[in-house]
Amino acid sequence: MNAVDKALLPRLALRLISGNHACALAAVAAGCRFFAGYPITPSSEIAERLSRLLPEVDGVFVQMEDEIASIAAVIGASMGGVKALTATSGPGFSLKQENIGYAAGAEIPCVIVNVMRGGPSTGMPTRPAQGDIMQSRWGSHGDYPIIVLAPASVREIYSETLRAFDLAETCRTPVVLLYDQVIAQLTETVELVAAEGIRAERKWASGAREAYQPYASDGGAIPAMSRPGAGYRVHTTGLNHAENGFPTQDPETVARNLGRLLGKFEHHRDAIDSWQAIGCEDAEVVIVAIGISARAATRAIELARAGGLRLGLFRPITLWPFPEDALRAAAKHARAVLVPEMNAGQLSLEVERILGSKRVHAIHRYNGEPITPAEIAARAAAVLKEKAT
Amino acid sequence: MRDARLEIRIGGTGGQGLILSAKMLADALCAAGQRVAQSQTYEPTSRGGYCNSDLVVSDREVDFPLTTALDCLVLLDRMAVKPSWLLLKRGALVIADTRLCPELPGGDYRVHHLPLTRSAIELGSERVANIVALGALAALSAVCERKALEQAVRADTPKSFLDLNMDALAAGYGLAARATGDAPRAALPSCDRG
Repeated sequence: MNAVDKALLPRLALRLISGNHACALAAVAAGCRFFAGYPITPSSEIAERLSRLLPEVDGVFVQMEDEIASIAAVIGASMGGVKALTATSGPGFSLKQENIGYAAGAEIPCVIVNVMRGGPSTGMPTRPAQGDIMQSRWGSHGDYPIIVLAPASVREIYSETLRAFDLAETCRTPVVLLYDQVIAQLTETVELVAAEGIRAERKWASGAREAYQPYASDGGAIPAMSRPGAGYRVHTTGLNHAENGFPTQDPETVARNLGRLLGKFEHHRDAIDSWQAIGCEDAEVVIVAIGISARAATRAIELARAGGLRLGLFRPITLWPFPEDALRAAAKHARAVLVPEMNAGQLSLEVERILGSKRVHAIHRYNGEPITPAEIAARAAAVLKEKAT
Repeated sequence: MRDARLEIRIGGTGGQGLILSAKMLADALCAAGQRVAQSQTYEPTSRGGYCNSDLVVSDREVDFPLTTALDCLVLLDRMAVKPSWLLLKRGALVIADTRLCPELPGGDYRVHHLPLTRSAIELGSERVANIVALGALAALSAVCERKALEQAVRADTPKSFLDLNMDALAAGYGLAARATGDAPRAALPSCDRG
């Protein structure tokens, strides 16, 4: 156990903490030593906590002048060799998109928290929504890979924050932690486990300096970065680049390098993919949901089963890349699929795409009021009745 | 299915300390080994807008962490009545401030109108009405041991407010005792974890 874990240990017993607080604790435990952000409801508690925690571990906390500068500083810190985090909500997440694309394209590890609140624009700052599901995947322009994790409880925000830093390093990519206002500001009794053994360190270049190619695949499709000052020749750019890092528009070179970038997660799907399936084996209706809607579904399953209606839940914990095979397997025997989500229809589109011929029903809500367990149970019963007639 | 959930809401306006008093109660319950989920609804205007702070208490991990059927409701402002009244379970405990929430709709509930804010003012600061309410809630609901709650309030209170908060908590217990004529407290059905 290192000094950081020791310092955190008294805080790791059974205790009441909020989702955002858990995120801050996990970031420090994962080795994050740089935070740059701009306050925004309902994510500000992460910055508030880290402003106290980071100085304790010789880390750096910067309140930046705006959202764009925050993500830019995080990318710079990471290029300097430090695990870095920023946290925001809808409007700030929109502003950060160009630089998120830069981090994806230049392959700079970093973690971005987006706490979902009502939208569009400034929307409803203190009310929950799940309207950034598609934005988290497609928000920046062009073709790029990104990992998005969607925790549904305070305990899971802790464990997924640890995993986010891990995946950012092993896959050399920005990772988005996506959760709604309810989970962010919810205070729950949790038993947190120490972060031992799961921290990934950055793969640094070694060997001959002359032969170093910053974007050359080593077979695992994730090139090693060079430690600043180690003497390797590096060029980093948002332009399409060749293996040596310098810009190119040569079609063959672009296709080869962008192809590697877009396919690089396939070598790591075992570590990336994560989901929870409850009662799907015998479920008549499989519910697919994330965040607070998934928590409602968990209770809906219990309510419905007590009344003789067999419901199941498939919950993607890694939202992007979507665990498609796992969803197909979970929904295989279901008579219907139901997607409750706090938006006008996003997750349901992806579920429809994956399940093809299966009819996908949905509850779409965007008024700031979470969907309740009773509503999900009632809708599932209605869906089956509809099918029977 | 044995429903072990107990749902509590403290409703009023932003700035009344509703989230703090819910956190204190949550700490006391957590210390006693209960599983707790504490959530809040508030408006961008941090003072004066509608605000509530909710607790879901269970002896196992809480699945859905938001309230849907209230066992206990504390009302520190009339603004909180409408969003909460339809969520009340039959026979639920309702504690309303006599001054700020004088009128309530009817229904089959255990209603106690108590001078929570007036007691706080008499103690020296309306700001401790949340703690008076907390004492009354704990006494009338028997949701947790008084000693555990006192410990939680002490732990969450800055030194300069300690005496005032402890007096406020005792005042809440006193109001509850007078309201029930010192009769033994009836435990709420779902509080019975025997």
